[in-house]
Amino acid sequence: MKVTLISIPVRDQEKALKFYTEKLGFLKKKDKPLDGGNRWLTLVSKEAQDGPEILLEPAPIHFEPSKVYQDALMESGIPYTQFDVDNVDTEYERLIRLGVEFSVKPSTMETTKYAVFNDTCGNNIALVEES
Amino acid sequence: MATPHTAAVGSNLKLARMTFYEKELNRINDIVYSNQEQIQTVFGVRNYINNNYESDLNLDLLSHIRFVSKYHLLRLFKRLYGLTPRQYLIGNRIEKSKEQLKNGLSVTETCFAVEFESLGSLGTLFKVKTGKSPSEFQKEQLSRSTLNLQS
Repeated sequence: MKVTLISIPVRDQEKALKFYTEKLGFLKKKDKPLDGGNRWLTLVSKEAQDGPEILLEPAPIHFEPSKVYQDALMESGIPYTQFDVDNVDTEYERLIRLGVEFSVKPSTMETTKYAVFNDTCGNNIALVEES
Repeated sequence: MATPHTAAVGSNLKLARMTFYEKELNRINDIVYSNQEQIQTVFGVRNYINNNYESDLNLDLLSHIRFVSKYHLLRLFKRLYGLTPRQYLIGNRIEKSKEQLKNGLSVTETCFAVEFESLGSLGTLFKVKTGKSPSEFQKEQLSRSTLNLQS
C-alpha cells in the first residue's frame, strides 16, 4: 500500500483550481469530467510532480455531513490539511501580497513553525516548517 | 490608566477572541514544552547530529555532550521529535545518500561518504526507509533526469 492522493473538500471546484494553482502554485495534473458537472480534479506540487496528488473534491455540495464538518472545522480555526514549506515567513509574505487571508500569523511551537490561511473554498490550511 | 484589573480584562478578551484551535495549541504547548532546559538539551543534540552525521555517533557520546544520562536523553529526544536519536540520524544519512546517488556517485562511494558501517547496512536501511534499493533509486533518478532533458 502507498499514499498517492489526499482529498480536500471544496465548495467550488473551478474557484479552488484557480486559488490552488494561481496563488499556491500547484500544478493541475488530472481533469476528468464526471457526472453532473463534477470533475476528477487533481493537483501536484511543482517541486514533486510525481509525488502525492491533491484531489479537489466537491463533497460539501453533494453530501450535507461533509458541509457540516467543514463548517465546524472552519469555525474552530482547525486546519485539517497542512503543506510543508522551506520557509513559513517567506511564504507568508508572498501569499499576503497575493491577498490571501491568514487566521494565524507565522508562529513557533518549539521544533515547528506554522501559519494558517483561508483557502476561500471552505478550509483552513496550515503551512508548516520543521526545524 | 492601566491597573492590574484592566490588564486582566484585556487578556480575557484576547482569550475570548482565540479560536478553539489556538486555545488547544496553547494548552498542548504548555504541557509538552514547559521545560526550556530540556528543550535546549534536545536541540543541542539534534544540532550535533545534523553537523556530524558522517561520523560514528552513539548515545554515550551524545549524552556526554550535553551532560545528561543517556536514557533521559533518549526519552526527551523521542518526546520532542517522535524518533530516537539513532532513528533521526539514520533518516539524516538516508536523505544525504539520496543526494549523493542523484549526483551520480556509486553505491559504494555513497556508503563511505555517509559513514554506513557496510554496503549491506546501507542497502538494508535504504530499502526499509525508501522502499527501494540504492541502485534502484539511482536508476529511477537518472532515467527521470534524461526524461526531463528530452521534454
